[in-house]
Amino acid sequence: MNGFLTNRILSDVLYGITNGVTIGLVALCLVLIWRSTHILNFAQGPMAMFVTYIGLTQMDHGLGFWPAALICVVVGFVFSGLTERLIVRPLYSKAEINPIVVMVGFFTVLEAVATAIWTNIPRYPVAPFSSINFQAGGNPTALSPLAVFQIVLAVGAMALVTVLFNYTKLGLQLRASALAPEVAKLLGVRVNRLLTLGWSIAGVVGAVAAVVVAINPSGMSPSMMDGIFILGFVAAAIGGLESPLGALVAGVSLGILMQFINDYWNSNYADLIAVLILIVVLMIRPQGLFTKNTARRV
Amino acid sequence: MLRNTTTLQRVVLSLLGGAIAIGITFFLSGSNNQLLALATAYAITILGLSFLTGWSGQISLGHSGFMAIGGYVTALWLQHFSSTPMVITLILATAAAALGGVIMGLPATKLRGPYLAGMTLAFAVALPQLPESLGPWAGGSQGISLQTPTAPHWFANLVGGGPLEIIATNYQYDAILGILVCTVAFFIVSNLFASKTGRAMRLVRDNDVAAELVGLNLPRTRTLAFAISAALSGLGGAVFAYMNGTVSPASFPYVLSISLVTYMVLGGMGTLQGAVYGGLLAVYATQITNWISNTVGIDPNSNFGLNFQNILFGGLLIVTMITAPRGLAGLIHLLKGLVQKQSTQRQQ
Repeated sequence: MNGFLTNRILSDVLYGITNGVTIGLVALCLVLIWRSTHILNFAQGPMAMFVTYIGLTQMDHGLGFWPAALICVVVGFVFSGLTERLIVRPLYSKAEINPIVVMVGFFTVLEAVATAIWTNIPRYPVAPFSSINFQAGGNPTALSPLAVFQIVLAVGAMALVTVLFNYTKLGLQLRASALAPEVAKLLGVRVNRLLTLGWSIAGVVGAVAAVVVAINPSGMSPSMMDGIFILGFVAAAIGGLESPLGALVAGVSLGILMQFINDYWNSNYADLIAVLILIVVLMIRPQGLFTKNTARRV
Repeated sequence: MLRNTTTLQRVVLSLLGGAIAIGITFFLSGSNNQLLALATAYAITILGLSFLTGWSGQISLGHSGFMAIGGYVTALWLQHFSSTPMVITLILATAAAALGGVIMGLPATKLRGPYLAGMTLAFAVALPQLPESLGPWAGGSQGISLQTPTAPHWFANLVGGGPLEIIATNYQYDAILGILVCTVAFFIVSNLFASKTGRAMRLVRDNDVAAELVGLNLPRTRTLAFAISAALSGLGGAVFAYMNGTVSPASFPYVLSISLVTYMVLGGMGTLQGAVYGGLLAVYATQITNWISNTVGIDPNSNFGLNFQNILFGGLLIVTMITAPRGLAGLIHLLKGLVQKQSTQRQQ
């Protein structure tokens, strides 16, 4: 039994899941925003990063981990909503590339401002969980209390979003205003307000993802979300950008695959393989693996 | 802009533009000529990006990757065959990048904007990680050095630079070489723009449904646009390798892709002049930032001063895209129109 728990393959799977849930969370953010406003938020990573630095500043002032994490979530909610209202809304009627370029500009500005305020030097916010792996028969397994906490946090956030969207009246309105804004408007749904809310909810998920990344033993820095954003996008696109479940499944699978490549081959090839997988998937099923086939009407 | 010109007019315009640019190099200092040489590399790359965005409606956040392909092919080739004429090396690098463009462009045919942008960004992130693991032949994180072009005797005699000014003379020679490549690239693109293929691409950009209905092969047109764009970026990367004298993963970070988009938009996407302004912005961005820092009174060594360039240009990108998507080229066009209006009013 002990041999099984410290087995190399099982360890890789467990490490992969720990990373994969974070990838899945980032992918979920992208899907939420894509579903509500048909915009791919390229500034997702820096937005979430910025929010965790605000939480970190509060910790520097003596606040505990839990209140600081709560502040991150609240700030994430407000910040993301404001972004939609102030920067994104003027772009809805514009060509497809305009919001992409604007969000890329926002990406640059946020990372530069964060570096200007907090510098590039990594910080190590401490979560109240040990990062030392559990032992099995004297050998370390691949899980630490911190990793378990990260997985629980990520899965909890995903579960909340699922419940919100599928089992509440608000969720119904959110889905309605995303799928058929005109009809929703006629039925008395305040669509504009709900689009902002959709971004805000994605902001909360993003904040949770960034907190999970920030408490990693490798620490946090202004560019901490860049790499994970890329994998999150790949996962979201493989899942089809429309499907939250697809984003999660693809995210966790990608996390496990990346871990195997790191362990058995070379971590420098991991991103390129992710891109190649994406190319192949998109050539076979451009609409992603988890969405129903929809033809564009001509 | 060049829609209603004849081939002869385009030849004359290109030659004139090239000649004026070469004339300017005689009045510039060595360091400015060095920057100008690099600017030609960026201008060609931005021309490729602009071709894709402005003329076929797609956007790539991965053109630093195609630049890297062009740059590395050049450096590796010259390492083994150092006496190859520049023209042949440039063609090889362009072809390699075009091949990369076809592979990346294949799924692009079925994809809408955001997918392509994200996929190309992932490509730009993934590519610079490779040289470190590919073995010593790829140069690792140190990169590969090559000989920058040196001025031949006749050129030194022509310029009249003595042995003391040999460095400045070399920089001027490099700048002129870059301008020549640039002129050819701009001439080819201006022709393409006026050709049947160019018209097809514009139709695909403006109304893909109509394009399909008139019998255009949408996937082929889009892949072609992407491949041409990648090829131009590869050419830009090759010129960069020649002018910079070294290529390394740090020469082509994914952030460069984002900067390229920034300078393209600020210069004016979809126009030839815009690519020139963009190339100049790319090399003078630091000096512009320093000048503004000094004027406003920001300490350039403070934390804010060190990040001011990205804050400034990122902010400009957002504002330009929301308020004036045609960039500097559009602004200059507007001013020209105003001046003309004024003068005609005065005549009346």
